[in-house]
Amino acid sequence: MKIPPTLSVVLSNLLKKPATNPFPHTDPVPTPEGFRGKVVYHVDKCIGCKLCVTVCPAGVFEYVEEIKKVTLWLGRCVFCQQCVDVCPTNALEMSNEFLLATYDKYDDNLRWLKDEEIEELRAKQGGKT
Amino acid sequence: MTPEEFLNTVMEKFPDVEGEIRENKLPHPRKRVWLNVDRTKFKELMRLIKEIDPNAQLSIIIGRDGGDYLEAKYHLELFYEQAPSISLVVGTKCPKDDPTLPSIADILPSALPYEREVQEFLGIFYEGIPDPRRLFLPDDFPEGIYPLRKDEKGISESMVKNAGHPYKMKKEG
Ligand code: SF4
Ligand code: SF4
Repeated sequence: MKIPPTLSVVLSNLLKKPATNPFPHTDPVPTPEGFRGKVVYHVDKCIGCKLCVTVCPAGVFEYVEEIKKVTLWLGRCVFCQQCVDVCPTNALEMSNEFLLATYDKYDDNLRWLKDEEIEELRAKQGGKT
Repeated sequence: MTPEEFLNTVMEKFPDVEGEIRENKLPHPRKRVWLNVDRTKFKELMRLIKEIDPNAQLSIIIGRDGGDYLEAKYHLELFYEQAPSISLVVGTKCPKDDPTLPSIADILPSALPYEREVQEFLGIFYEGIPDPRRLFLPDDFPEGIYPLRKDEKGISESMVKNAGHPYKMKKEG
């Protein structure tokens, strides 16, 4: 019988430990610096310039005219970071969060500035002017 | 053969072809030969090009809706064994009320898939095309609609579907 050329490699690998990460029993592999995770939106810093709406390739942003802010639905985000790079006030930032699986595509976790918050802001601003 | 020599050879045989050499500086300096030819002379010109370099390679056909005419640009690479090779762009057009061009699949067989694509997406019909079936569009796509047209034969508003943003969906009810 011919000895397969991989035999010695296979035999020596049998003596080694498995090189796997048994998530979820351990922590996931740590994210590197500059990792592009879930987008974080700081509503108070936003000046409503609409640059993020223009630059986003995936239609994540909708501009909310009445309060001059944007609302995000990350169900479409492709994590390209263009909105973060273009935002003049650093109202957008990329986090390390990447465990984003959900049962509902309109899950609260995938949205920034939800309808109640928009209402609240509108009421506040309406009172001011 | 240099791009200049090539252009001269072509212009001698086809004096009414528009031809020029353009050079881009960035990102890499490169000369390209651009030819524009009437569709009645187009096939003869392609035959001549094939004679000049029997190994000529057709890279792609790019079709365009130019308003009242349809245009097709053929990108070719000649003498690719030598460096630099000759990069050639041959353009020809047809009016929208008679949208036909001659097929060159008998001269350059690799033109066939591109011709099928241009035919279904732009509605330029190729005379003598050996296989006129659709290539990319699904079988149940409506006849007489050409997705890359900018006129009424293109995609209509009602054919465009947007999966919807939750904020907008709420607004629209
Ligand atoms: S990261 Fe890219 S896809 Fe995601 S919201 Fe920003 S611009 Fe849009
Ligand atoms: S780019 Fe920044 S400041 Fe401008 S609308 Fe978007 S989030 Fe607001």
